[in-house]
Amino acid sequence: MHAMRRLLSTVACVASLSLAAAGCAAWQAPADVSDAGLRDRAVKATKRDVRVSAAVLSADDSRRMLGVEVDRKRVQPVWIEVQNQTADPLWLLRPGTDPDYFSPLEIAWSVHMPLAEDANARIDEHLNKLGFKNPVLPDVTHAGLLFINPEHGVRLLNIDLLQRKALIPFSLFLSVPDDAGDERFAFSAYRYPDSAIKDRNTLAALRSELERLPCCATDPRGTAYGAPLNIIFVGESSDIGAALARRSYRRDMRPVDAVEQVFGRRPDIVGRKQSQAGAPATWVRAWLAPIRFEGRSVYLVQVGRPVGGRFAPPDATSVVLHEDVDEARNLLIQDMMYSGGLDKLGFVTGAGPASPTQPPTAFSGARYQSDGLRAVMFFATRPIGLSEVEFLDWEPYLDGRRSAARDGNDDARK
Amino acid sequence: MNRMVKLVLAATVVAAALAGCTSTPLPTNIDYKSRAVTRTEGGVRISAAVLSAEESVTVYGVPLAKKSIQPVWIEVENRDDRAYFLLSPGLDPNFFPASEAAEAFTPGDPPDRTLELDRRFWHLAFHNPVPPGATTSGFVLTNLDEGFKFVHLDLVANGRARTFSILTTVPGFRADYRMTQVFGREIYPAEKIVNYTDDAAFRAALVALPCCVTNEAGSKNGDPLNLVVVGGLDDAFPAFARRGWHATEEKWTGSIMKVVTSALSGERYTNAPVSDLYLFGRVQDLALQRARDNIHQRNHLRLWLSPMRYHGKQVWVGQISRDIGSRLTMHSPTFTTHKIDPDVDEARGALMQDMAYSVNLAKLGFVQGVGAAPRSAPRGNLTTDPYHTDGLRGVLVFDRRHTSLARITFFPWQGTDDEAEQVTGRIKQ
Repeated sequence: MHAMRRLLSTVACVASLSLAAAGCAAWQAPADVSDAGLRDRAVKATKRDVRVSAAVLSADDSRRMLGVEVDRKRVQPVWIEVQNQTADPLWLLRPGTDPDYFSPLEIAWSVHMPLAEDANARIDEHLNKLGFKNPVLPDVTHAGLLFINPEHGVRLLNIDLLQRKALIPFSLFLSVPDDAGDERFAFSAYRYPDSAIKDRNTLAALRSELERLPCCATDPRGTAYGAPLNIIFVGESSDIGAALARRSYRRDMRPVDAVEQVFGRRPDIVGRKQSQAGAPATWVRAWLAPIRFEGRSVYLVQVGRPVGGRFAPPDATSVVLHEDVDEARNLLIQDMMYSGGLDKLGFVTGAGPASPTQPPTAFSGARYQSDGLRAVMFFATRPIGLSEVEFLDWEPYLDGRRSAARDGNDDARK
Repeated sequence: MNRMVKLVLAATVVAAALAGCTSTPLPTNIDYKSRAVTRTEGGVRISAAVLSAEESVTVYGVPLAKKSIQPVWIEVENRDDRAYFLLSPGLDPNFFPASEAAEAFTPGDPPDRTLELDRRFWHLAFHNPVPPGATTSGFVLTNLDEGFKFVHLDLVANGRARTFSILTTVPGFRADYRMTQVFGREIYPAEKIVNYTDDAAFRAALVALPCCVTNEAGSKNGDPLNLVVVGGLDDAFPAFARRGWHATEEKWTGSIMKVVTSALSGERYTNAPVSDLYLFGRVQDLALQRARDNIHQRNHLRLWLSPMRYHGKQVWVGQISRDIGSRLTMHSPTFTTHKIDPDVDEARGALMQDMAYSVNLAKLGFVQGVGAAPRSAPRGNLTTDPYHTDGLRGVLVFDRRHTSLARITFFPWQGTDDEAEQVTGRIKQ
């Protein structure tokens, strides 16, 4: 009986797919896999005798070079070239670019057709040939594709090249060709005129500036308070972006983010932690502040997570800030400890305490509670181990003199 | 007849399972602290215990295990001169913040019930920091492991970090005696152990290992042994945990249910959690998989403890492959749903690259020994999946001391510098 049913279902499948298979069996690798166009528009950078170039493939590039339709909603092919003029081999660490990257044969498998063994083998061979190959030996230039999860508008591409006792990291901002002109993904790195920027070159001077920054975002009219600004990032945007990318954050601005405003504008960058294995649902909304510390940028940041987190019903449409914003802040710090990019950490006041008995209500309707502290994270290019993070002697949160008490009842501590 | 036997077998198993359930009353006395494992280093003492499903109901008042959440109780006593922070992502990169776990049990509940549960979860949670002279305890909520669990605690202070690693058993599951053996005491007689301190001799020994795993009889070769992991509970396995690897074993309850289901439906039980492969005359000592999400079980590795040591560290030999049939597939379920990436070198490379971010990888290299299988002439594993390879084994040496990305060294072997790279380069280009 079972055998009969299985046979019937097989026959049905063969019948329904024979047409498709007939078309597919003729699949041939595309003749034109030239990367000249990509090379022309590639963003380039050179550091320590290594030159990298990279460009995001458009849908047309992808079709032309791959010869198959990949699911653009889930995969973004990126072309990378590495020229090694050092004396040692280089290894591109793919998880540094995207911890959830796809292998070429995984992409190939997704477009395999039934009953087309030869064609499938040709697809495998072709995509495998296009994939980026390690290592890049001295005096060699390698180019190839990486298959990673999509970002829109502008892709921040982190490239970690490992060498004997060295890491040569690059962060490139690449435009996504098919998103050009799409207002939803419009992205321009906000810049202040030089005259508007306060340069601060001592930690004490920086701290007093940070304490004076606005407590919270506002609604677009600037009449009602929004979510508290509970984090400060200090560093080059590329270093901050690299640290976030290594921990599975992707750029992802949604309408709900855009209504939160600081300095009269929506967030300059929004990142969301997204992992196919189910990461905590944290967002990071960042605004460039008109302050520079030792020549590096300062971002005012709001970190939080939606009510419901990973347990929200799949059809839930509303995104409301969960009240425990300090928890989200503290967990972001922990995450960044593993990014290899966190150099220094301190706490300052400025976000304003919010008591659980009288929680403030943001214009979105969200209520939250907080100890009112901002975590200040300094990022560096040099990879930093867990035991090398410096704690600043600012607000006495880090040495435990000021603790995460809530409800006036800190019974978790003995 | 065969079917009849299966049904009887299934019924027996179900009956046994039910009997087991009814005869295990809920614990009236929570004594997880008494079985906590304790470690001390440099003025910091930690204790940890994993709660069973029943214990977590008793402590939290809600069935956390039903949402695949497993609380780990941790106590930190700080006699050092600075405050420490416990890093939850080190236990499990996809851990559950206390407030989020509370929300798993409150959808649609009245606000006062939601608030009460949120408060309870908050009070039970581990709270940072642990100031000098203080003792702090609380729970970190991780993804559920069955049977046993690697508990890794990264504690960070100003310019200092301490790491502790513990293998714990999870009550409520069949005790895994083999795991305890592998980690608890020497499984090889002393005269069989060879400790290598000379890199050239170590390399030769690694090259001389068998190419592949075998079937039980040892008569057929399977997947290539393309991985050598040097280290143990204190250094290698923390690295795996930080990067989201979980131990898998044949899951007692899960396997039984699947056997029962397949016996009842008459279908073949085709997808065992991890199939057994053989080396050194025994099945793998340890099987790990990346992530727990059903659609994402894409990397599997199996390890066997070898009688070799490298500078006194354990040497594990293993096999890694990537399951590519699950994440992007548009295939109908009628067709194959599991597929191993035939480019097994890709999975090996992915692991080595990923481990570079683990903080514990100190050194890496390549040796021959698998035997090349070019794309044009692939070999097959025991389940007839074809694979091709450059024939190299990746060697990863882990160390307790944290190593930043910029300080990882490569073995000064020809295999890494010239020959292997030439080989790798030649085949890959």
